[in-house]
Amino acid sequence: MSKQRTRAYKARIDQALATPRLQDTLHRFADAYLLAREAAFAGHDFEALRTGIAAMKDEVRERREEYIARFTRNAKAAGATVYLARTAQEANAYIVSLARQRRVKLVTKSKSMASEETHLNQALEEAGVRVLETDLGEWIIQLAGQRPSHMVMPAIHMSKEEVAELFGKVTGKVEPAEIPHLVQLAREQLRQGYLDADMGISGANLAVAETGGIALVTNEGNARLVTTLPKIHVALVGIEKLVPTLEDAHKVIDVLPKNATGQLSTSYVSWIRGAVPCGDAPKELHIVLLDNGRSALAESPHCRDALRCIKCGACANVCPVYQTVGGHVFGHIYISAIGIILTAFCHGLENAAELVRTCIGCRACVAVCPSKIDLESIILHLREVLGEEEGIGAGKALVFKRIMRNRTLFHTMIRAASLLQKPVTRGERTIRHLPLFFAGLTEWRSLPAIADKPLRDQWPSLPQQVDRPRYRVAFFAGCLNDFVYPELGHDLVRVLNRLGVTVSFPKEQNCCGVPALYSGDRDTATALAGQNVAALLADDPDFVVTTCPTCTMALQRDIKDLLRDHPRWAAKAERLAAITLDVSRFIVEKCDGGQALAGLAAPEKVTYHDSCHLKRGAGVWREPRRLLADSGRELVEMGHADRCCGFGGSYSFTSHPDIARRILGDKVADIAATGAACVAMDCPGCLMQIRGGLDKQGPPVRVAHTITLLAETLA
Amino acid sequence: MSGASIVEGFRAAAGKVGAEVVVVDGVDAAIRHVAARAGGAIVCPEFPSGVRWGLADRLRAAGSEVIDGDFRTHAPRAGAGLTGANFAIAATGTVVLESTAEALRLASTLPIRHFVLLDPRKIVADSTAAVPCLRQLHERLPQAFLAYITGPSRTADIERVLTIGVHGPKELHILLCEGLSDDFLES
Repeated sequence: MSKQRTRAYKARIDQALATPRLQDTLHRFADAYLLAREAAFAGHDFEALRTGIAAMKDEVRERREEYIARFTRNAKAAGATVYLARTAQEANAYIVSLARQRRVKLVTKSKSMASEETHLNQALEEAGVRVLETDLGEWIIQLAGQRPSHMVMPAIHMSKEEVAELFGKVTGKVEPAEIPHLVQLAREQLRQGYLDADMGISGANLAVAETGGIALVTNEGNARLVTTLPKIHVALVGIEKLVPTLEDAHKVIDVLPKNATGQLSTSYVSWIRGAVPCGDAPKELHIVLLDNGRSALAESPHCRDALRCIKCGACANVCPVYQTVGGHVFGHIYISAIGIILTAFCHGLENAAELVRTCIGCRACVAVCPSKIDLESIILHLREVLGEEEGIGAGKALVFKRIMRNRTLFHTMIRAASLLQKPVTRGERTIRHLPLFFAGLTEWRSLPAIADKPLRDQWPSLPQQVDRPRYRVAFFAGCLNDFVYPELGHDLVRVLNRLGVTVSFPKEQNCCGVPALYSGDRDTATALAGQNVAALLADDPDFVVTTCPTCTMALQRDIKDLLRDHPRWAAKAERLAAITLDVSRFIVEKCDGGQALAGLAAPEKVTYHDSCHLKRGAGVWREPRRLLADSGRELVEMGHADRCCGFGGSYSFTSHPDIARRILGDKVADIAATGAACVAMDCPGCLMQIRGGLDKQGPPVRVAHTITLLAETLA
Repeated sequence: MSGASIVEGFRAAAGKVGAEVVVVDGVDAAIRHVAARAGGAIVCPEFPSGVRWGLADRLRAAGSEVIDGDFRTHAPRAGAGLTGANFAIAATGTVVLESTAEALRLASTLPIRHFVLLDPRKIVADSTAAVPCLRQLHERLPQAFLAYITGPSRTADIERVLTIGVHGPKELHILLCEGLSDDFLES
């Protein structure tokens, strides 16, 4: 089953990658979105707004029974019928049965993701009820027999030509592929539907406990017609849409359009409470509150924050993977980052099994989430759960469990690999071609060779000169720095010595654990965390510095979580997290802003690439820019500086090399467009990826770690 | 924000989303403005300030065809709908219309044009200031359909190209008419 599933998933990826128009559309959309969103939030404190939404939603989650009861009481008092459906089947059965009892022939619908979730249209059509979607995007995909590829813009993957062809089948004529014409055609075709329909079905963006009313946030105006014209109105509402008061409802309404489409407000917000007049009689209003996995989500300590989601779709808009393959690959019914989590709970873990690996882990979604959901952490947790259920693959399991946990063995094997690679490196530092079935890995980027002598072996002979040290720091190198780029260690020592800092290299340090953790092997990550805490704190350093932001995140965040329940290690993990800093922040914050390094460089034009885990993990992006600018270089910004380079560790090697390659292509183009002579970054993983990409497909731009650029001014 | 700057803020925000905002000098001027631009029959449902100012009769007197009954039959063919507004929100250029009576909803959804008469004294700064009014309306009405209307109907569902007037009105005209009503609970 799972092999077949994986094959089908890979086929979908290949198909999406073979559709350049899709990538063009989604890239253009992403660029326009970022500008519109920025303008919409101008003068607003996004951090404060989203903190407010998160707190409100958490309170609703904790007291959800109470709020469901209050909403139900108030809605009933206003003449609505309220039904709590535990499952999708229950919700559909209720609505189908109602349609049968009332002899409904035609249903008009406004956009409802909840109804997509329950496959309501299918259930109605099986009962002989015709269903007409009226949201333009939903109508298009209904005609095409597809599912939405975006939560807010369901048909974003389709061209106007494809739409014209679909509409032509409806009218029986050749329809010109002109957007105003197509929109007018939809207006005319759908208008009669509202008037003829016996039942209107909507979703809801909010269910307000205070009033017992729902709110619908729309642009087209179709929801106003769907809820006004037919005699019966059914609103299918996920229980996560509950908010306590009208003030709380406005917290969502103030943010949702800004974050979804960059609008200050949608064209319409409709507040509907109770059985409003319809023709000569009161309307028959049924509100179906849908659980379908939401209570289980609320009870999951690792995943429950996902219930805060207000369904804005921003996590897709900013996702480099979504921009590359679209929502029909990166989604089941719900798409992109939040889609992974909702799929696991609403449609079962099996349906999320491939999707949890689609995420590259760049945290772009976390930065824009209006409900402050740490999507990446939840996805990692689901990966662990799946790793336990399905296994993480025999090869990975062997490497992580048998090899990595045994540091001496792990490092011996890397050393052995350094000898084995000789035939392909030809004595050089870069591998440009690999033989046989590995060839694909170096087709689009060259790879660095493993160093002859790792940093740990070079360290004893590395001279250090500090007269009166102000700090003693321990260096956590991470595997890439240690075994692939040992020269970064030399650079670090040179720079920090100049700033009055002595550097030690605790030899017992092991892999930071992220590769294991991101592959779903929490046990190995925990074992490694324990080893690293012991190693790094052994000599009681003032600080621990790093040159790899993924390692920084592991030491600052993951080890605390991994060792929380280990009485021997918990407090030490806290201590280590508190004294760990990436080197640029260490210099800026602890070494007088690095003034001793200022003004020493030639005025070379340099652009800066933000590493995902440095900017969105450690919150560091100003510091390296400041150091580079102060050094005397001319800093020019590239487009999308903080967009992932497509490395993602094993993502670019084994799990999704073809997607990684496209994302790298975007990065190379952005770098080339600056005309800079050098691109700086603070991550050996990005260094490997971007250097490899520029080497194979880009202009001759030098790729360097910031610490190297700082060190060379001291030569 | 002072009164004048709230009105200016509202005009700017509503203009930005494609609403036509004009200041009219009194009800007669408003009627002339609507009659000249309706492009067909005008759906004119009952609402308190409209009744008080005799809008339907004045429109007829100005030569317009007025639909003031049997709305479901006639509204779909109308050129325009005319309603008041309970109040408005400057930050987003939104008019707020309590439209529980079905005729108000038909007038503001089905015709190609929607004309809104708004007393500029009833513009609040932002959504926070709107909540108390919204709550009062909920308290007063056992059943309620309240609409925030911000610009004309729009879609970007085909290739993200913004297109106006997909299901609702293609034009939204907001007439600022001082003296119409200063009561936030009525339109």
